[in-house]
Amino acid sequence: MSVLIDSLLAILAIYLALQCLLAQRLIQTVFIFFAFGLALALTWVRLGAIDVAITEAAIAAGFMGVLFLDALRDFSPAVSKKQQNLEAVRNPLPGNDTKRPILPRLALGLGLVLFLLISLEAVWNTPEGKGLTVVTGVMLPDSGVEHPVTAVLLNFRAYDTWLEIGVILMGLLAIFAAGGKEVYRKSGMTAEDPVLRQVILFFTPILFLFGAFLLYFGKSGPGGAFPAGVLWGAIGILLHLGGRPVLTVIPRWLLYLILTIGPGFFILLGFLLMTTGSTLFEYPPAYAGILILIVETMAAISIAAALTAIFTNLNQMSEEPDKIESNN
Amino acid sequence: MINLPTSSLPAILVGLPILVATLSLFFRSRGKAVVGLLGSLLTAGLALIAFVEVAQLGSVIHILGGWEPPLGILLRMDPLAVVFIGMTALVGVFISLFAWWYFRAQESTNGKFSLFWPLWLFLWAGLNGLFLSNDLFNLFVTIEVIGICAVALAVLSGKTDSLFAGLRYLLAAITGSMAYLFGVALIYGSTGTLDLGLLGQILEPGKTTTFALLVITFGLMVKMAGFPFHFWLPPAHSSALAPVSALLSALVVKGAFYILLRLWAEVFGISLTYAGGQLIGLAGAVAVIWGSWQAFMQTNLKLIIAHSSVAQLGYLLMIFPLLILAPGVVAGSADWLSPAWTAGVYQVMAHAFAKASFFLSAGIIIMAQGHDHKGSLRDLASRMPMTTMAIGIAGVSLIGLPPSGGFFAKWMLLKGVFLSGQLWWAPVILTGSFLTAGYVFMLLRLAFAPARDQEPFRPVPHSLQVVALLLALGSFLIVFPAENLIQFLESSETFGSGIESIMEGGAYGNN
Repeated sequence: MSVLIDSLLAILAIYLALQCLLAQRLIQTVFIFFAFGLALALTWVRLGAIDVAITEAAIAAGFMGVLFLDALRDFSPAVSKKQQNLEAVRNPLPGNDTKRPILPRLALGLGLVLFLLISLEAVWNTPEGKGLTVVTGVMLPDSGVEHPVTAVLLNFRAYDTWLEIGVILMGLLAIFAAGGKEVYRKSGMTAEDPVLRQVILFFTPILFLFGAFLLYFGKSGPGGAFPAGVLWGAIGILLHLGGRPVLTVIPRWLLYLILTIGPGFFILLGFLLMTTGSTLFEYPPAYAGILILIVETMAAISIAAALTAIFTNLNQMSEEPDKIESNN
Repeated sequence: MINLPTSSLPAILVGLPILVATLSLFFRSRGKAVVGLLGSLLTAGLALIAFVEVAQLGSVIHILGGWEPPLGILLRMDPLAVVFIGMTALVGVFISLFAWWYFRAQESTNGKFSLFWPLWLFLWAGLNGLFLSNDLFNLFVTIEVIGICAVALAVLSGKTDSLFAGLRYLLAAITGSMAYLFGVALIYGSTGTLDLGLLGQILEPGKTTTFALLVITFGLMVKMAGFPFHFWLPPAHSSALAPVSALLSALVVKGAFYILLRLWAEVFGISLTYAGGQLIGLAGAVAVIWGSWQAFMQTNLKLIIAHSSVAQLGYLLMIFPLLILAPGVVAGSADWLSPAWTAGVYQVMAHAFAKASFFLSAGIIIMAQGHDHKGSLRDLASRMPMTTMAIGIAGVSLIGLPPSGGFFAKWMLLKGVFLSGQLWWAPVILTGSFLTAGYVFMLLRLAFAPARDQEPFRPVPHSLQVVALLLALGSFLIVFPAENLIQFLESSETFGSGIESIMEGGAYGNN
């Protein structure tokens, strides 16, 4: 039975990936991408990685989907015009794709197929699980948490996790650098939409509680800062869409405080521990559990704020009329 | 490696720039610049202390979280790492000073440029982390940090062509990262460890290892713009702001080379073949000729310099075939190994100084003339003698004329070529130098030519010209401590001394 489910998922994921690439219209691509993300999340569930599944569903299908739809809306005036022109050109000339030289594409395709086959063989030949599961299990009691994944992420390899939380902040800065900064402005409330209002009233507490649950549950099971941060980020996006732009009405210092508290607190704690004679991120075993929970909470707040800020910046960038003009 | 003395410096070298960068976000544009400049000076000072410490104590380590590998991550600061950190600090501090005056000179135009400071400090932390890392996955994380900051810096100018070039850069960088990560996953799956030291001991030759080596090398080649994956470099480096171009060309691409050198020497020695070394050397040789020729054919100053980077990075790839012994050669008798890999390190340093200076000079010329068509160099010698001199000196180092750092690197490389008997690389090195001389002398000829028409010429702050000149001089000054520096590099417990036993031909094909 499980073999059947697994093969079904495998076929579904590959089929959706292909469809996503081959879809004629951008809107189709985006919606198939949602489905692909969900199929991938189910695959992670089958592989026993629940935390990856939650994050995959939230990021790939949820957050990326919102960004894609938003981008699609911005591009739609430009794209639809272009597509009309394209279709006008295409109809009299059905083979406009074949005008490109066939040989490089054939070589590229052949190369990719070969690469796929060789990599499949390499993966197939990988010796059976010599991973660090055993060592992690032995050291788990000293880590302050009960779930091995959390122990690896927040204690054994805390350095990697700290840098990765920083990468999210850097991604936001990259969006600022690419032109999202000037249009960061306060926007007033939009007209009340009763349906949206009910949705916000209903989902905000649920998302918050579920995020908080995942955060706390990370100690003993799948969960932790990343899924929690994504769920809390969803609250920010929802409120922004409902005309309650949370991040733009708070003072500037507070905005940067919540954006940087995750990586900032983490490294400050690390340096503080270093002054007591231990190495970076070496928690005293007695306090490891509570310190990890605090670090995770701060990280989740920053991740949520960064995701919301990424969305609101891109969203507002497109609302600036002269910005759209200059893009065309 | 666990027995080495521990030090807290490696952790501070990564943590402090990130902390300062985070702090700078709270300030508005002027404050960001002040905090950023102070942070740069502080980080450079730390790098100096680190250099002194390694010179005194030898290699030091920092066991993060107190968890020893394979469970935890270990930062390792050996002579090779600290030389790269020191180079980054020296070049970085000059670029920071240049950026401070450069952005002040055009403050009225755009306040967004102040984002340069946090991004540059994050990038610096990433580079330090990369040089210190001794863990395959952690290397991936540092690559991510460097990649995202580099792309953000590349698009900072806000011009349309830099956005296009930046997007292309991003896609190339992500492709490289994913290929690298795929290789790491295969290695972890088959050995259960990510620590470079442990991997070097337990990695067994086989299909999985060879394939992992291939994808990792491919990923890093894309990252360091090795031929034929250099396509993203010229547009990205030439369309960025002047200090950013200097950072990207002088420092960022060297990170991928550093990982490649470490992984080939420390981890994958067992799977390397003579043919594989020749192949990567061939890519380097083609890059040297093709890049120099392309640079010669360009009409825009920044594009000339960017294509020249492709060629100069080619020399770095050419050290790999010399490090892998031909069938039947015994490591004990191979006295060219040390000149070969130290030539690589010297080429990295000479190119970092010369190319940073070159790009900063180009920025000065654009500031003065408003464009960078090579005709804008006309009569430069009388208008800006200092910048002309900087271009001349940096150019001489790129060509490899004595007594520059570039000469020293190429001379050592030639020594390696002759001693190893792989004579076929020698004509490439010479041709590359001739072609480089071609475009450098073309630029200098223009600088001394009389101006055709009275183009508007805006004065440029002297401080900017001084910084560019100092960097150019740096590419000469690095020759003086050469003997001590090479001794220092070879004294390493973890890299230099072990290289001979590590790269003994490989298990495939030769035996």
